[in-house]
Amino acid sequence: MSKYAGLMTLALILGLSNSAIASSAIVGDAAAGEERFHQSCHACHGPAGKGAASYPKVSGKPIEYTREKLKAYREGQKFGPNSSLMIMMAKPLTDEEIENLSVYLKDAKYNN
Amino acid sequence: MKHLLTKSLVTSAVTALLMGGSVAYGAGMDVPTIKVTPILDGLESPWDMNVRSDGTMFFTEKCKGLSVRSPDGEVTKIYGMKGSSGYASSAADLFCEGQAGMMGVAADRHFDQNRRLYVASTSNKYHGSGCKTNFERCDGNIVMRLTLSEDLKKVVDRTDIVKDIQYKPFESDQPFGGPGAHNGGRLRVGPGGYLWIAGGDRHRGVCPQSPTLLCGKVLRVDTDGNAHPENNPPEGFDKRIYTYGHRNVQGIDFRPSDGKAFTAEHGPWHSDEITALVNGGNAGWDPQQNIAGRGECPDEYCGYTPNQMDGMDPAVRAAYMPMSDTRFDDLMPPTWNNNGLSQGTSSAAFLKGENWGIYEGRLATGVLGIGFGGTPIGQRIDMVSITPDGLGINGITRMPLGSQKRFRGLVLAPDNSLYVAVDEGEIFQVTATSNK
Repeated sequence: MSKYAGLMTLALILGLSNSAIASSAIVGDAAAGEERFHQSCHACHGPAGKGAASYPKVSGKPIEYTREKLKAYREGQKFGPNSSLMIMMAKPLTDEEIENLSVYLKDAKYNN
Repeated sequence: MKHLLTKSLVTSAVTALLMGGSVAYGAGMDVPTIKVTPILDGLESPWDMNVRSDGTMFFTEKCKGLSVRSPDGEVTKIYGMKGSSGYASSAADLFCEGQAGMMGVAADRHFDQNRRLYVASTSNKYHGSGCKTNFERCDGNIVMRLTLSEDLKKVVDRTDIVKDIQYKPFESDQPFGGPGAHNGGRLRVGPGGYLWIAGGDRHRGVCPQSPTLLCGKVLRVDTDGNAHPENNPPEGFDKRIYTYGHRNVQGIDFRPSDGKAFTAEHGPWHSDEITALVNGGNAGWDPQQNIAGRGECPDEYCGYTPNQMDGMDPAVRAAYMPMSDTRFDDLMPPTWNNNGLSQGTSSAAFLKGENWGIYEGRLATGVLGIGFGGTPIGQRIDMVSITPDGLGINGITRMPLGSQKRFRGLVLAPDNSLYVAVDEGEIFQVTATSNK
């Protein structure tokens, strides 16, 4: 039995959904996350997610926190007055990109 | 050969003159050497500066307060906001929220004698009972006249000279919909020593075209806050108003050649603009609902419609909710439109002095960078060559800085260098050296 099949069996036993399995199976790549951050996030949240102007700091958070927030935004959930901006930005993100961003932002530091 | 060369130079010179240039331009371009020098870092949202002839620099941080950097590099915190620490004194009525906080700073033209600074900030001192909902006037943006001590490190007097610019107190159903939206906030002292105050629409549909509300206006007042006697707004308007119909003006400066005022302001998902101001003119922004072919809009503000939460062709947006609506007879047409895009124009400053070479007289315009709906982010400082009538441009050159930041505050220093504040927490100096 492959490792994935084993996980699937375990998930079925535990009653987990397929999407939860997919998320847990992805291992985030910090370098890819940094690249994606520069494409979509840097202009507002500043270098290394340190925060800028009225855009909050997004670095230094646990991976689970960032992952769940981005997924919730992607689904259209609101958490505050500027949620619509994040919903717009999160819509095109794949599970893999969310994982990469979450891993990158956990340890991202602005050295200036 | 010599004859051909001479003829060629003459032709170039004539062509340059016909195109509004100069003989020197035709004879050879003086492209200056541009250099960037860090001044301060580790700041929290620096917003604006004023630089004195000895290098003393006053600067604001949006959620902290007013500070001064002495010529030797020492920084002293002068006047703090609610919750700040380390300032010589602070004021509990000054607060920050979202885009709002302590913003513009300008010095009196007689600063060396009276040590007076003008500072724009958000304040709850004049809220009264008018801030219970987003649909009341809510006076919450003020301009203070601060008199400093002789060592320039303390405030010895504060007089609020403008107390009734509106503020957005609550969240609304818009992108960037948090409280504190669209305050403008840039201050500059213009010809004759009058104070110019650039405002924003605070996400309220009726603001820009209202004759009495000061939101969405550019004001020209004396140093006590009274209207300039030659302001010429339409009948029934507050006499402090120089121009109206603005969205969110964060850039204002005066052309060195004729003193004419120009603004730079953000567009709504489209159409960042530079505008040559005309006394009493209308910039053409009118985000009210149920007019100009529009129906009801979220929270009575049509500024991001149609389809305000999703990307779409900026040209379609511009046709539906124009930044400069041509139905107004008193419209001030824009000098420049950002190719139909909104990337977040902020501060602007004219480049004075021969040290700027071919860029002398151009309007340096900072772009914060906003890349929604497929718009390129576009962080940059543009050097915009404006036509003599102010109604168009000759061309744009991007300032070669070697980095892209959120360019928030630009001001020219007395030595003709450009000081730049970026949201990333830095202030730097851009010097230009002529190569003639």
